[in-house]
This record gives sequence, C-alpha cells and structure tokens, in this order.
Amino acid sequence: MTPLLSIENLSVVIHRSDPGDSGRQIAALSNVSLDVNAGEVVGLVGESGGGKSMVARSIVGLLPPGSRATGRVLFAARPGAGEQVDVLTMDRAALAGHRGRGAALCFQNPRGALSPTRTAGRQLTDRLTTHQGMALGRAREAARELFEQVGIRDPGRRLDAYPHELSGGMAQRVMISLATGCAPGLLIADEPTTGLDVTLAREILRQLRHAADTDRRGVLLISHDLASVAEVCDRVVVLYAGAVVETGPAGRVLRTPAHPYTRTLVASVPQVDGHPVVATPGGMPLLARAPTACPFAPRCGHADDTCRTQHPATTEWGAGWQVACYHPQAENLAGNLAGSPATQAGGARTATQAGPAGPRPPAGPAAPVPAAVPRTVLSVEDAHVVYRSRFGGGGHHALRGVSLQVAAGETVGVVGESGCGKSTLARLVLGLVRPAAGRVTLAGHDLSRIRGRRLRRLRIRAQLVFQDPIGSLSPRRTAADAIAEPLRAQGVPAAERAGRVAAALARMGLDESILPRRPHELSGGQAQRVGIARALVGGPDLVVFDEPTSALDVTVQAQILQVVAELTGDESRGRVFISHDLATVRGFCDRVVVLYLGRVVEEGPVAEVFSNPRHPYTRALLSSVPSLGAGFAGPRLELVRDLEEADAATGCPLAARCPLVTDRCRAEPQELVGYGASRAACWRVPEMPELLRGGGAGA
Amino acid sequence: MRLLRFVARRLLLLVPVLLGVVVVTFLLVRVLPGDPIRTILGPNATEADAAAARARYGLDQPLWRQFVDYLRGLGTGDLGRSIQSGGSVTSELALRVGPTLELVVLALAVALVVATVLGIWSARRAHRIGDHSIRVLALAGNSLPDFWLGLVLILVGYSVLGWFPAPSGRVDPDTHLTPVTGADLLDAVLTGNGPAFGSALGYLALPVATLSIVIVAPLLRSVRASALEVLRSEAYTAAAAHGLPDRLLRRGYLVRAALSRLPALAALVFGFGIGSTVLVEYVFSWQGFGQWALRGLLFRDYPVVQASVLVIAAGYVLVFLVADVVHAMLDPRVRI
Repeated sequence: MTPLLSIENLSVVIHRSDPGDSGRQIAALSNVSLDVNAGEVVGLVGESGGGKSMVARSIVGLLPPGSRATGRVLFAARPGAGEQVDVLTMDRAALAGHRGRGAALCFQNPRGALSPTRTAGRQLTDRLTTHQGMALGRAREAARELFEQVGIRDPGRRLDAYPHELSGGMAQRVMISLATGCAPGLLIADEPTTGLDVTLAREILRQLRHAADTDRRGVLLISHDLASVAEVCDRVVVLYAGAVVETGPAGRVLRTPAHPYTRTLVASVPQVDGHPVVATPGGMPLLARAPTACPFAPRCGHADDTCRTQHPATTEWGAGWQVACYHPQAENLAGNLAGSPATQAGGARTATQAGPAGPRPPAGPAAPVPAAVPRTVLSVEDAHVVYRSRFGGGGHHALRGVSLQVAAGETVGVVGESGCGKSTLARLVLGLVRPAAGRVTLAGHDLSRIRGRRLRRLRIRAQLVFQDPIGSLSPRRTAADAIAEPLRAQGVPAAERAGRVAAALARMGLDESILPRRPHELSGGQAQRVGIARALVGGPDLVVFDEPTSALDVTVQAQILQVVAELTGDESRGRVFISHDLATVRGFCDRVVVLYLGRVVEEGPVAEVFSNPRHPYTRALLSSVPSLGAGFAGPRLELVRDLEEADAATGCPLAARCPLVTDRCRAEPQELVGYGASRAACWRVPEMPELLRGGGAGA
Repeated sequence: MRLLRFVARRLLLLVPVLLGVVVVTFLLVRVLPGDPIRTILGPNATEADAAAARARYGLDQPLWRQFVDYLRGLGTGDLGRSIQSGGSVTSELALRVGPTLELVVLALAVALVVATVLGIWSARRAHRIGDHSIRVLALAGNSLPDFWLGLVLILVGYSVLGWFPAPSGRVDPDTHLTPVTGADLLDAVLTGNGPAFGSALGYLALPVATLSIVIVAPLLRSVRASALEVLRSEAYTAAAAHGLPDRLLRRGYLVRAALSRLPALAALVFGFGIGSTVLVEYVFSWQGFGQWALRGLLFRDYPVVQASVLVIAAGYVLVFLVADVVHAMLDPRVRI
C-alpha cells in the first residue's frame, strides 16, 4: 500500500534577507525522509530549532518566504489508490484543495491560531462548508457533533463563544475540531499539549489517537513530550539539526534508544518515579548548509574522528528501526537512568557531568538533619484570595484557606492543574496580592500589615523565577543590569554590585561574556539562568520558582533542573517550586503540596506523597503523567470531567470529578487530616485501598 | 443590556464635561483682548452709547451675575443673543450645524469606505506597485492644503468640465426645498423632494471630495497596517492553512479584525474634519457652522463663541462614544 505521505530527501534552505544580514542562509532541513500511513500516529521529536515545524509547514506548502525546498513531499489524496502528488510542485489551485482536505495543520498555540473576531462555531462551519460541501444549517449541526466528539461540554453554547472566552484546554479542543472538520487524510498536530496540564494533555492525545483509529486518518504528532509520544505513537522520527537521526517503533525507540542524541533526550526527561535527570551541556547548532559530519558529534560522548569528518548514513538497527550513527548504543538506558555509578562511568560524558552535581535522590532530606530547628522563612495561615470583578458583584475565589510553612533550607513543591491557584499562591507570598483573610508572614514580617516602602523592602526578601525566561527580562536591559536589579533596589554600592553579579553568574555556570547581552541574544536556557541569578543575587530568604522549565526544551529543562537541584543544598533560604509537571517536582523537593481549586488537598514528604498518594486527586494526577519508565506504580484513578465544569461551592471541591464520590462528599467540606507522614483532605482515605482494589477506579 | 448601561454612563459623563467647558470658555472668552461692543458700534459712538449697548446685552452686570444668567438660559435651551447680529444664538446655531455636520459626516463616510477598500487591497499586495502607488497618492492628498485643493476641484469640476454647480449655496433655490434639519440632503429625503436631492448632492460633491481627500490618508494607513498585521498573524495563517477560499478568508478572517482599530482614529479624524471645514466652507461659500464660529471669535461675540465651543465639546464626547461602541462591536475582546 502506498503511504499517505512520503517525504523523500526533503531539504529546506532559508535565505535570510534581513538588512545587514544578507546572504546568510540556514539549512533548516537536510535530506529528511519519512512516511505516514493512514490510521497511523507518527511522532516527530527533537529540540526546538531541529526542523519539526518546518516539516509540518512543508507538508501544507506553507514554507516561510525566502526558503527553497528540494526533494519531494508526496501525498496520496486517496491512500491506497497509488497516485501520489508532490506538494512542492503543486499550483495554487491544487494547493488550495490540498490544504485542509488533504493535510490539516493543528497549530501549536490554539489561542493565537483561532481568529479572535469570529465565533468558534463559525470558524468550524467555515471548514465544514468549504471541505465537506455542507449547507450552513447542516454544518452547524455537524459542528455541534464535532464539538461533542472532542469532549466539549455544552457544545451549543460554545459554538457562539469567541476564542478569548475559551480556556486553554477548550481552545485546544476547538483547534483539533477545526483540523478534523476539514476531514483531512493527514492530521498534523504541532505541539498540541505544550502548556497544558497532565490531565488535559492526556485527553488531547487520546483525541488524536482516536482520529487515527476510528477515522483512519494519518496523524503526525510533533512534540517534545517524549513520554506522551511513546504512549500514543506507533512510530517515532527523531530530528536533530534538520536531519533524521533515528526512526522506528515509538515504544522501543524511546525506551531503548540507540542514537546517542535520542538517549540524551530520553535521559533529560524527569520521571515521576524519581529517576534523576541527566543533563547534557551544549545546544543545537544552526547549520548554514547540509551537514558533512555528524551534527551531534560536538555534544556526543561516543564521537570519534569518523563522526567529525563524515556524515553517517542511515543503517538498519532493527525491524523498521533506522539509525544514522556510527556508534549506535545497544545497552539498556534504564540502567543509566537509575543513576548507578558503574553505568554512568561507562556511559557518556553526560553522565560524569551529572555525577557529583546531580539531584539528590528522593530520600535525600532525611540524611543531613540540622541540629537546631530551622527558622521558618515563610508562613501562610489560612489565606484567602479573591479577585474581585470590576463592577462589584462576586469575583473569583482563587485561594480558599491555604496554610503553608517553609523553613530555611527546605524546598516545597506546589502542584495542581491550571486554575487551581498555584500562581496566585506565588503572588501571595511575594506580596503582590493581598489576602482577603488570613496571614502571610515572610521572614518574620506580616506581609498583609505593611505597605509602601516597607513592603517594597520586604519584597526583596522573596524572589520569583518566572515561567517565560525571555519575557520576564526587560528587552532594553543587558543581562548585567537585570541581575544587578535587586542589588540596586537594596542600595548596594555600584562597586560591590559587579562582584556579586559575577559570583551569582558563576554559580549558574555562565561566563561573563553574556553580561552585555540583551534578552533576545540569549537562548532560553541562558535567559532562565540569568533569571535565577537575578533571584539569588540579593540573598533572599525565599525563592519562588513558578514553572521555571515548562517553556523550555527537554535538554535545556534538564540543565535548569540541575541548577535548581544544586540550589537545594543551600541551608540559608527556603524554596517554593511550582509546577504542573509532577515529575519535575519529584527530583529535589522535600515536601509537596497538592492544590485543588484554591485548597490544599494533600501535603507531605515528597517520597510519601508520590509513592503512596492518599487523596484521589493526587492519585489521578500521578496516574495521568505519561512516563518512559515504569511510571506511577500504584492503582490508577481517572477523573471524570474537565476542571472548568467542576464546582467548589459546597462539600469536597473534587466531588464533581471524583469517581469515588458519595453523598457525604457532596455535603461535607473536607479538612486536612493526618494519615501517616502526610495529610489529606478526604474522609475516604482509610477505606481507599479497598476502594481501589474493588474496581471503583478507572483504567 | 450591558451596552445600554455603558451608553447611559457615558452620557451622564457628558454633564460634568460640558459644565467644565462652559465655565472655562465663559471665563477665557472674557479674558481675550477686544471688546464686542466696540465692534458693533462703529468709530463715532460715545461712551454713553457703549454703556447703553452693554446694558442691553447684560455686560454691565458683575461677572458671577452674567454667569448665573447664562446658566439659567442654558437650562431652558437659550444660548443667549448674538452681539453681532442681535439674533437668537440657538436658532442661528440650529441653522448652521446641519449643513456642516452633513459635510463632515459624508466626507468621513466616503473616506472610511475608501480607506477600508483600498487599505485592505493594498495590504494584500504589500510592497508591490499597486500598494506603493496607493500609499503615495494618499500621502499626497494628505499633504495638499485643503483650501487649495478645493479651488483646484472648483476649477476642474465647475469651470473646465462644468459637471458640478457653482460654489455658492448648498441647493438650487428653484427646487423649493423646505428646511427641516438644515442638512439639505437629509431634508430632501425627509420631504421627498427628488429634484432638491439631486441638486444638494451636486453641491455637496466637491466640498465632500475635498475634505475626504484630506482626511483619507491616516485612515488608509491605519487600515493597511492592521490588515498587514492580521495577514501575518497566526490566526490568519491557520485559516489559510486549512484551505479556506480567498473570499471567505477576506470576509470572515480579515476585514473585521483589520477594522477593529479604526473607530478610535476615525473619531479623531472627525474632530480634525470639523476644524478643516472652516476653510473648506469659506472656499465653497458654505453657510455653515465653521464660518459662523470663526466670525463669532473674530468679533468677540461672547455667546456665539461659548455656544460653538459647547457644541464642539458635546460633539467630541458623542463621537468618541460612538467610536467606543463600534469598536466593541467589531472586537469581541473589548468589554464595555
């Protein structure tokens, strides 16, 4: 059978015509070949800049201006009929028919990719009338059904909603419905789960799998979430610097990768079962022309002279498994991941890098117990935060009675889905919002009592590391200025500042050449290190990390996590690490707090909470984390609905979504009660093991 | 419902704004050098004549007294008595506002349509010949002085081609148009007077063209820039990548998004247009508001100046209100 899509030796060169930069060219793709069959989900993975999106764009004939493509992108309008057309040579009319109907692109950022001035329903009916020839009335009916299929509740109302009225997950679902509404042979999903929390990401991926299984569409899933790709995809293609380095069955390639680059990627993924991440230094090169040597050689621990002078050809490694490498690795990566010194020493240089500096094992906090009781740097007591709506009348109750203590030297993880109040908690402890009730004490001062200059002084004691590393630095200021900012606020004399900035920089593993650069000249990883250096330079009592890695590539993420892990040895300050990615929290936090709709539903030592979750919500979160390793070991639990439909008014906030719900849950608000080492707000905890065994749980 | 509340709130805002305007103009106009009484009396008048005239217009009263009287008049819609003509300012104003509003509104409407059509056309052909020529032409129109442009249009349209009526008057008196609002075109429609409608349209053509050409450039630039932004946006790319036909892309995904920024600018341009009418009305002998207000100012005709400033201020508030409402209708993200 002819594949739906076969890309043969596709190379894309982009000529930059910027003034002052003329004549510069970038080899975005070099001799890429890949196939997608109908009914198959193919994953395309690699770091950003590796050419993933360029592949997607070339399939729909949307290459950026100034680019020249060679090779062939063959597409079969009717798979199996044997007739393939080259997208690159299509004329305008053919391209118009091919886009949408042949291959439909599902864009990365659904909020940006939905037109803000047209209702979601109209945007969908536009696709239906165009590609499926429906009349408007019939199309509206079909649109309602499609919305229902992708899991949008109350589809009739959502049809008339404008994109800005949709939540992130909802917008992503609409985007998928738009792409499937074109009834394409091939569905291309460009990072569909980036920025979504685990439960939603799982649901979105299920939709894509569904499209392949029931509608026999081909699906090309572009993602840097390797664990999800391993779970959902049939085959995977790994791109590095615009070239395919490894391709094969997704599960096997990502669990036992052969190419050193794939191994690097996999080792960088934090695991919920507590494997430490292994960071690889360096970054992907931007090539000016097709590589003549192995592009990964400079970062590779196995590279020899052959790798540096000749480009490796693609060789068969297993059934349907191809690797472009002179030294494919057969040994099991899992051993390497477990962090035993023997395999690390025998492994790549990456492992030795991670050795002494690596994150401490999950059992770490028990080891060096300080003699004296450490001082409490932050204490939040029963805090409520309400965002009032502009013209009176109600408001959004973001935190509903949260208590939290952070001692010096301690790292507390805060997890939960989007919209559960994690960021509000960060704003609260930094004194950026005032609690409607309750107390926040930072370094011995009551934050809610003081105002004006004294409050600004106190804010220096707590520092924030932001989610968007480049956006959180002023574009007009150099890295040196940015890092020195808290010192300037403290009134540190200029002479002393330079020295302290240099010290903070050295601690981040950055050299001084980046000091005069501005944010747009920094990579994401460098910018985030600058952000962390800025937070640390003033010697704060508390550092709050608000999802510091979620905007970064896996390999960079691993580097940053390593930096953060090194900081956890610092006994003079407390840390709060906020993340919706549970696996990142596991590596180096001492305690973890699980937030749900503005309440703490479970808290306790990280090892205890992760291996033996008491609250159904925690268990559900852990169950939905995709994993390359064993994943979450205990019985799994699945929530029945999306967050937005849930209600926090009376009783247990989770009642609407919990599969174990009873009438008592709906009626009684739940308090945190101690169970062993951790505390959970669920009265059914004692009977939980029995309930889970009794089949009350989902898959 | 929400819209109505918004409009009501903004209309209430009109009261303090206008009150402030009244106080400021009342004081400022009296600070200006020059004496309105002297300008009507002529060189041979004696001090006694002047005092008598002052008493006739209430100008001998203390300032606070004059102000209270003026406010009391305002409450009943009486804007005072023109010192220059002796007529009621309210009725003079009613006569003058209609023609000018008609001129400016029509010119703005024409300019908006032209700017939208050409701006979007231009953006879709960005950096090609058509785009460049449109932008150069718009800029040229913007750079020409309006009075000169008006004279050239008269020369060509009336003297040479003879297509348009002579620049005097606003409607052919032989059509016996009954004035209702003062805006001749509207009156012709209201009274069902066909010949008058044609005649008024003919008289309007050249001044409207003059004003439109002068104000179209900023509108066109704005539409083109917004349209380019939309064309390069991810949302438009996504729609295009899903193979939607050109017509649908243009109507459904481009126009509305590209126009959302226009109302605010159009409101500003409207104000500029009111200012420009002074010269355009002069060139076309248009007995309108601009000329009337200018003469009032030149002769220090206190009630006329105060009334015209009041009308302009109210006009501004109302026009910006309309602009905000239109903006909210075009862009669903705007909450009012």
